Amino acid sequence: MAITEKQRILAAARKQAVDKLPFGARIDVWYNYHAGHDTLPEKYRGWSIPDILRDQGAGIELRHGYLWKVEYRDTEVVVCKDPPFTTTEYRTPKGTVSMKTMFTPQEGPWVPYELELPFKSADDYPAIEHLLENTVLVPYLDDYLKKVEMVGEDGMVICSAPEYSPMQEIMRKIMGYEMFFYELNDHPSKVEHLYELMKGVVWQKLKILAESPVEMPMVCGNWSDDIHTPVFRKYFVPWFQEVGEFLHSKGKLTLAHIDGEMKRLIPMFLETGIDVAEAWSPAPMTSVTTTELRKAWGNKVTIWGGVPAILFEPQYSDEEFDAYVKHLLQEIAPGYNFIVGMGDNLAFDGKIERVSRIAELIDKYGRLPIEI
Amino acid sequence: MAGSVFSYSTLIQAVVTGNRTKSVELVNEALREGVRPQDIVSSGLQAGMRIVGDKFSAGDFFVPEMLLAARAVTRATEVLQPHLSAVDMPTLGRVVLGTVFGDIHDIGKNLVTMFLRGAGFEVFDLGVNIPADSFVKAVKEHNPDILGMSALLTTTMSSMSNIIKALEIAGLRSRVKVIVGGAPVTQHFAEHMGADGYGADGGSAIRLCRHLVGK
Repeated sequence: MAITEKQRILAAARKQAVDKLPFGARIDVWYNYHAGHDTLPEKYRGWSIPDILRDQGAGIELRHGYLWKVEYRDTEVVVCKDPPFTTTEYRTPKGTVSMKTMFTPQEGPWVPYELELPFKSADDYPAIEHLLENTVLVPYLDDYLKKVEMVGEDGMVICSAPEYSPMQEIMRKIMGYEMFFYELNDHPSKVEHLYELMKGVVWQKLKILAESPVEMPMVCGNWSDDIHTPVFRKYFVPWFQEVGEFLHSKGKLTLAHIDGEMKRLIPMFLETGIDVAEAWSPAPMTSVTTTELRKAWGNKVTIWGGVPAILFEPQYSDEEFDAYVKHLLQEIAPGYNFIVGMGDNLAFDGKIERVSRIAELIDKYGRLPIEI
Repeated sequence: MAGSVFSYSTLIQAVVTGNRTKSVELVNEALREGVRPQDIVSSGLQAGMRIVGDKFSAGDFFVPEMLLAARAVTRATEVLQPHLSAVDMPTLGRVVLGTVFGDIHDIGKNLVTMFLRGAGFEVFDLGVNIPADSFVKAVKEHNPDILGMSALLTTTMSSMSNIIKALEIAGLRSRVKVIVGGAPVTQHFAEHMGADGYGADGGSAIRLCRHLVGK
């Protein structure tokens, strides 16, 4: 039987029996905001996220970005920092493109947000193609390994590696959703060509990942069924099947970050073969209940999440919070193939003490099989 | 009209299928045939957008179809603009929209903007990452019927209550209806923070805004 929280989480992810419900809590948004504003609770000032979660009695979900540094052949990269903004210009022989990001960790985010993406019009295809053809990824695991040591056996470090599937990379990081759908309609063969080139870049990431100690990499996420459903079967399902086969052959599991509205993606998700659906954000934040999701997926997918971020907000009373969590435990009974967590984070005004409340409720009702 | 080739149903179909080339072609044809520009807008373009909005709310259309339809209407409206400026085209109301501070997601807001304009609202889109005082300033400047706020992150949606408080402090709250939307926002949340309406999706925004302006 599993002993540490990390072992519990991995066992649940592998569809193995565990002694009680695993709990992998994510609080980086809350932490970043309060650390940045010097408003952490007195007790927690100077503490790290893992130590705060240990004090709350929770298992740890700590996020990490990439396992590589990015270089470009035959390209001049010019970076201009004007905090919180960073503008990066890529000067290629085929043209120049630029992107602008905003990074405000003191407001909560753990990654920069894209304000301006490199693809602005069809004139940019040659430069973008050049960048994709000339991307070289150099493995870099030092920061990841430091986090693994910090978390130890009390939880998991979840890497954004490869982070997104090739088409999601184009949709999110190269074109943006609006431009992507205009271009897919207006210049489909050009988009398809970018897709093929992006596959090459993502395979570089997968090969680095394959040689790393990462157990459960994030292969994609941030979907919304009103955006992704029309393209999911063609560009996402076959990709995940192929990637899953490769990563499974390397002894790894696959994880997707399902923090958006999933209703119309639920059936196709099963076809992907992805092992773990993390950041599960049920109603009222989305239209799907945990009962409906479990019914659709059975025991084929391990779900990580279940307590929507909004429930931690002060507008919900402690009694309403407790009732929600108890109901969740009833929904998932007997409780196998489930890891309790946030859907998908603790917001800046979420109540930190509700994290320990979940741990208490799991201690009281979460021995498996759950009988509540 | 004898020899007429323009039909509203064909224009509506072009809008619904997101065919901007056909939409522009049909609008030009309608103008040549002497169809009133305001009728092209209301019986053609707006009628098409209503169908698109309804199909989206019903789950038959997705964001890509909405985007392409809205783009078709935008292009067609550009052709009509010189002709409309000579006509007193009533608007349904005036709306200020923005994504709240700390949040840079805009696709939902952009769709709502396109749909509201397509439906006949005058819309001022403030953009993304908009602090509370900028929303207040925009309400003072544009005197809208409706202020719409969008957030895609649980970490930023709480800003919406700050903006409502800022409107109260500025003495503007009673002058404007406040609507909210975005993936993590719920009806419960909207009611709790004192908003006048909640839009579950872009398609329902038109119905909500029409209801709030009494049209």
